[in-house]
Amino acid sequence: MIKRLFDWLKQPLGLIAVGIGFLAVFSVAAYGLSTTQKAPEQPIQFPHKTHIAFGIQCLYCHPGAAKGPAAGIPSQAKCWACHQQIAKTETSELLAPLKEAVESGTPIQWVPVAQVPDFVHFNHRAHIAAGKNCEECHGDMSKVTIAENPQVFNMGFCLNCHIKSAGEDQAKLNKLADCGTCHY
Amino acid sequence: MATVSDLKITELKLSEAEGGKWGMVIDQDICTGCQACVAACAMENNIPFVGDEDSGYGRSMHWIRIERFWEGEYPEVKMTPNQPMLCQQCGSATCEPVCPAFATVHSQAEQLNLQVYNRCVGTRYCANNCPYQVRSFNWRDYQRPEPLPNQFNPDVTVRRRGVMEKCTFCIQRIHKAQDKAKSEGREVVDGEFTAACAQACPANAITFGRIDDPESLVSQLSKQAHGVKHLEELGTFPHITYFKGG
Repeated sequence: MIKRLFDWLKQPLGLIAVGIGFLAVFSVAAYGLSTTQKAPEQPIQFPHKTHIAFGIQCLYCHPGAAKGPAAGIPSQAKCWACHQQIAKTETSELLAPLKEAVESGTPIQWVPVAQVPDFVHFNHRAHIAAGKNCEECHGDMSKVTIAENPQVFNMGFCLNCHIKSAGEDQAKLNKLADCGTCHY
Repeated sequence: MATVSDLKITELKLSEAEGGKWGMVIDQDICTGCQACVAACAMENNIPFVGDEDSGYGRSMHWIRIERFWEGEYPEVKMTPNQPMLCQQCGSATCEPVCPAFATVHSQAEQLNLQVYNRCVGTRYCANNCPYQVRSFNWRDYQRPEPLPNQFNPDVTVRRRGVMEKCTFCIQRIHKAQDKAKSEGREVVDGEFTAACAQACPANAITFGRIDDPESLVSQLSKQAHGVKHLEELGTFPHITYFKGG
C-alpha cells in the first residue's frame, strides 16, 4: 500500500502534487506571519506624521507616559479641542468618525498597537525618567501614518537595553535584570 | 559592559540569606482568626475561587491561610492560637533549587522568592519541597462568573491553568511605592505602604516592612525575645517572625 503510494508520487504528476502541497503550506505560513507584522485596523486612519509635523509633542496626547504605567490614548474631547477649530473637520470623510463620536459621546474604540503580555508589567514613567525617548521603542512616528511597531517587544529587546544601561553597576544590574522587576 | 552570563550566580552567603530586605511580624496573641487577611489577599492577588469539588481534593488556593491545631490527648485537648501561614520568603528557600525551569528564583534586588508564571511548566516540585506548604497550584482555569472579573487587580498577572503560585509579599505594592518615592525624589518611608493582609487585619496582628532598616517597626519587633521563626532548624532562614504567648 505505502509502496504504491511512493511509486505514484515518483511520477511527474505526483511530483507536481507534492510541489503544490509544499507551496500551499508555505504560503499559508507566510500569510500568517505577515498578519503579525501589519498594523491593526483602526476606527480612524490617524496620521501620526501630520500631527508631529505640526509640532505636537508625544506627551501632549499621551501624558500618562510621564506620570504612570500607561501612556494612555486621548479621548475624543482632546482631539476636538483642536479639530473643532479646523474647517477640514466638517468636510473630511476620514474625520467623520471623530465628529460622530463627539456628537454622540461614545468613545472611539482605538486598537492598542504596542502591547506586552499580561505577565509583563511595564511602567512608562520609569523609562521616561531614565531619559529614554519615545522613538527608542516606538520608532520614528513622524514617518508613519497609523502607529506600528518597529520591533517586536520581546524579553530580549527589553533585557538588552536594561543590561546596557546598568553598565558596570552591579546593584543596578541586579535590579534591572531581576525577574521580579517585570514579572509578578 | 556586562552581559547576562556575567550575572554572578554566587553561592548564597549565609549572612545574606539571614539578612533579607522585606520582612513580616505576626502576633498570634492578637490574631482572632477572622480570615480578613485571607479575603484581602485573594482580592489583591486575583486568586481564583476553586469551588467545593476541587477543594475536596485538597486543591484549594490561598496564599495565606489560618492554621489551628489540636494540642494534647482527648479529653484534655486544647486549641493552639490562630497561626496565619504564608510564604516565609526564605533567605535560603527549599523551593528554589528544585525547579527545573528556573521559574522560582531568588530576587537579588528585593530578596524575595519569586514565582515567574511564564516560565513555570507545572512540575509542582517546589510545592512538594516547601516545608510550610504555602504554594498553590492552578489545577484548572477556574471560572469567574460576571461581574467578578471587574474586580481583577490590573497590577497582578491573572494566572492560567498549570502554573504554580504563592505569596509575593505584594511585590506590586512594593514596586508602586518605590516608583512613587522615586518620582518624588526620596526613599520609601517605613509604613508608607503595607501588604494587603497587613492592611486588612482589624487587630493589627500583621506588621510588614523593611527588616534591613534598624529603625523600621518590623525590624524592631522582630528583635523581640519571644519571637519565633517557624521550622528555622531546617536552615531556610524564614523572614517572618511569629509571637506566641508573649
